[in-house]
Amino acid sequence: MSKLHYDTVVDRIADTLVTASTTFTPDQMRAYAHCKAKETNPNAGWVLEKLIENAEEAEKNALPLCDDTGTPHVIIELGKDATLPGDFLPAVEAGVAEGLRRLPARAMGVLGDDKERVSQKKGLSDDPGHLAMAPLRIIAIPGNAIRVTVLMLGGGPELRGKTLRVFHKHNFQVVLDEMVAWAKEAVALLGCQPAILAFGVGRSNFEASSLALEALKNADFDVQTDVEKEITDRVNAEHIGALGLGGDTSVLATFVKIGAQRASGWRVVSLRTECCVGPRRATCEF
Amino acid sequence: MNVTTPLSQDVINSLTINDQILITGKIYTGRDAALPKLIELYEQGRLAENGISLTGGVIFHTAVSDAGIGPTSSNKVEIEESIPLLSQAGIKIHLGKGKLSDATVAALKAHGSVFAVTPPASALLTAKMTHKRVAAFPEEGIEALYELTVVDFPAIIAIAHGRSIFDR
Repeated sequence: MSKLHYDTVVDRIADTLVTASTTFTPDQMRAYAHCKAKETNPNAGWVLEKLIENAEEAEKNALPLCDDTGTPHVIIELGKDATLPGDFLPAVEAGVAEGLRRLPARAMGVLGDDKERVSQKKGLSDDPGHLAMAPLRIIAIPGNAIRVTVLMLGGGPELRGKTLRVFHKHNFQVVLDEMVAWAKEAVALLGCQPAILAFGVGRSNFEASSLALEALKNADFDVQTDVEKEITDRVNAEHIGALGLGGDTSVLATFVKIGAQRASGWRVVSLRTECCVGPRRATCEF
Repeated sequence: MNVTTPLSQDVINSLTINDQILITGKIYTGRDAALPKLIELYEQGRLAENGISLTGGVIFHTAVSDAGIGPTSSNKVEIEESIPLLSQAGIKIHLGKGKLSDATVAALKAHGSVFAVTPPASALLTAKMTHKRVAAFPEEGIEALYELTVVDFPAIIAIAHGRSIFDR
């Protein structure tokens, strides 16, 4: 990749990170408007209204949707006929750091050696770009496109996430019921309802959590499968409501990605309980 | 209802769960890193020498950064543990988000304080802030104790007088 190309990738990735952090997709805005219109709890309706206003303000002025601007995660979709230059990945990494500064993101990079980073005893970096992106994932796609999706994952959902084996007893409903039980517990504790639920079902902890992230990348609020709708409806029946204040919208939508499975009596399920500003993601194509 | 800091006990007594309020005046911020340190100052009787007055105050569970302000989960261990002692120290409204334990609901009642919640609408909430300064613990960066001046900052009373909006 030439110097110009490197700089172009850095710039495009930085812009994509800013878009992910400041913009709801049109289908997500439609989902919020639909829920606001049918909400019967006045306080929950007030919260939904504020979240819509917040999204409008954030997009208009390129401001972060949430002050927890999140940890950057990147998924690259690589066309089978595309050529990926050797400095593409460093350019993506540099673009993420530039995007964090351009936003600006909350400076959350922790300083120090291994023990100091865990205990946070050495304090934080002043540089928003110090927050390194998480290990990235590459997915093969047809054609010659290179698509890069940046997802900004906030801290609240990490507290309510769960990845664990589920014994399926050769019955899909058993696994589904367990997923719903996890979701009910997690959404009740979230604090930033309505939640956007993402599930991955795979053969290992790594694979299941990767699939949950892929489900968020693909999220289309206009399209819900029967399984996704059932999970949403069953959690909404708890009437946890926006901000936990009661009401009809505890979950805005659910996204499920089921991967390959192996011969065994268990499946690994991963739940990410995205908060009301999620999934903050945007995609650019090269 | 519009409320202005510092808050009197009469104002707090008049609030009930489900009330939508707009807060104007100076408020403090703090979360996992700053609140335990603030409690240490209180227990050592060193608030005044650090220019901190908690009487009739509001403490907002947030970081303060160039990305703005927005509530963090108040049921995180160090934050929720701070509520009883800071209520005793004079804080009248603890502002954040999330369900709190029965023990915290009881502690709020015992000290005549309330818990309010606000959505994580950072773009909107940040627009309500007219001034900010570090009040203590600058070494904590975005998690330092800040003093903010806010105008018409929106919130809903979630826990008051032994009742919680989260109990259903």
